[in-house]
Amino acid sequence: MTAPVRVWARVLETRKASGDTFWIEVDCPSIAEQARPGQFVMLGTGLSDVAAPLLPRPFSIGAREADGRLGFLLRVFGAGTQRLSAVVPGDDLLVLGPLGRPFTLSPDRPIVCLAGGVGLAPFLFVGAEAKRDARDVRIVYGERTADRVFDPELIRRITGVEPDLRTEDGSLGRRGLVIDDLDLDDRPQLLACGPDPMLRACADLARRHDLPLQVSVEEHMGCGVGTCQGCVVLSSEGEWIKSCTEGPVFDARELAWRT
Amino acid sequence: MANLTQQLLGVTFQSPVLLASGTCGYGEEYASLIPLDEIGGLVTKAVSLEPRPGNPPHRVAETPGGMINAIGLQNVGLDRFRGEKLPWLRENLRSARVLINVVGHSAEDYEAVVSGLDSDEGFLGYEINVSCPNVKDGTLFGTDQQALAALVSGLRALTDRPLVVKLTPNVPDIGVYARICEEAGADGLSAINTFPGMLIDVEARRPVIGNVSGGVSGPAILPMGVYLTWRAAAAVSIPVIGIGGIRSGSDALQYILAGASLVQVGTALFVDPSAPVQVQAGIAEYMKRHDVARLADLVGALTIPGRE
Repeated sequence: MTAPVRVWARVLETRKASGDTFWIEVDCPSIAEQARPGQFVMLGTGLSDVAAPLLPRPFSIGAREADGRLGFLLRVFGAGTQRLSAVVPGDDLLVLGPLGRPFTLSPDRPIVCLAGGVGLAPFLFVGAEAKRDARDVRIVYGERTADRVFDPELIRRITGVEPDLRTEDGSLGRRGLVIDDLDLDDRPQLLACGPDPMLRACADLARRHDLPLQVSVEEHMGCGVGTCQGCVVLSSEGEWIKSCTEGPVFDARELAWRT
Repeated sequence: MANLTQQLLGVTFQSPVLLASGTCGYGEEYASLIPLDEIGGLVTKAVSLEPRPGNPPHRVAETPGGMINAIGLQNVGLDRFRGEKLPWLRENLRSARVLINVVGHSAEDYEAVVSGLDSDEGFLGYEINVSCPNVKDGTLFGTDQQALAALVSGLRALTDRPLVVKLTPNVPDIGVYARICEEAGADGLSAINTFPGMLIDVEARRPVIGNVSGGVSGPAILPMGVYLTWRAAAAVSIPVIGIGGIRSGSDALQYILAGASLVQVGTALFVDPSAPVQVQAGIAEYMKRHDVARLADLVGALTIPGRE
């Protein structure tokens, strides 16, 4: 069990990785040394930044380097992410983490990461760690259109994995969804992160093929540490459970998959 | 360091800065992030007689200068609070004071929670939530003068511990409700709870919040909180705890000058868990700069030109 810390972290590098997606690296050794794939941080600009949206935003940890760097994939959705996307090297961000339950990787199965859109973020970290451990890991990454695709060269650089790209309109990579035409003959462990309809489809796929599936979910989040109880998802037992501390990674069987 | 202590509710608070109910869980969640035993204290997440499942998502959303929430008072209920949460507070908070926030569907529910907790150790007293706008029955007590008087006097008969009533801002004259609580035997007041509010997703033409409406908190409500604290404090002689949008020493001092003896920091914790420590340091810096020896000298020390 890790204890989250609160720390100001210097922005070291930002780069545009697609039309509305950024890759941001910060110097954050106290969180980097504890972080595990699937965990997240809250990123904000602090109490005195009156121009900023008030609350910090949750981000999956996308990379952790030995020198204490953390990397985040940030897609602009609204005012909060817009503000954070505007940081430049030398700025400081307030970071709270590492937070949440990480992925539990199967010791013997190959790993197949199913990434929808910005749901790619945790799999950059998963891919890099699995590759470092000489594991068999695949990243299947889907976007609606080519202009949204996170720079494949950057994916290769961060993870060492050649992504299996899909776009819904076929403008880059294979045409289709991340669950289409998957080779599951080696009975892999499935990990998924993306929009709810995609996660439901992944849960259905895992059930049909009797494969283990862990999903990383997202809800509006207030505190990130379990106090505000804002970020709940419905469990298979019909209870509202917190995605920040009980998740964000769940075994798919722990959740209710209502359509 | 300036002397930040305050004497009220029969004890000494080492600092006037408390954590607001609903923003600090049961303390343990923030143990690695906030030096809990170095602040004034905390008010727990609401405790009800039975566990509450809470509302469907979205439960929180940001709004300019603040946030809106409709959690639905999800909590573990009295038995699990006593068994799992209170022991941690008892063991870990030696100097900071603990108030337990109590909520109920009915007067009997509130009474059962207070009776169930009263002989336990590890807390100072109660903050009675009569004002949460999220749960239909809860709104009755805070806006219904007779129900409020009956509730507070009923609880007064059950406990010798400090009884603080958390007022709703959603009344025409908060002074009337403050006096009702004082006359019914309350030892203090918290002013204020969240304001009712609503956000609409115009693309989907649906409410953003699963519960449709929720409570608005954060810096946006600071001026209303300061005003209502000033009105409530003027109406009673029992101490008032100021709440609403505090994120700096200067914000806290506005409440204190308006008449608050203590303050609570809530939404700012989500922005930065160091907020309560920053607020404390800001108050101390102000006292040093203005050569104020005792914090009590600042309580209600507002001067209004032409009305001295």
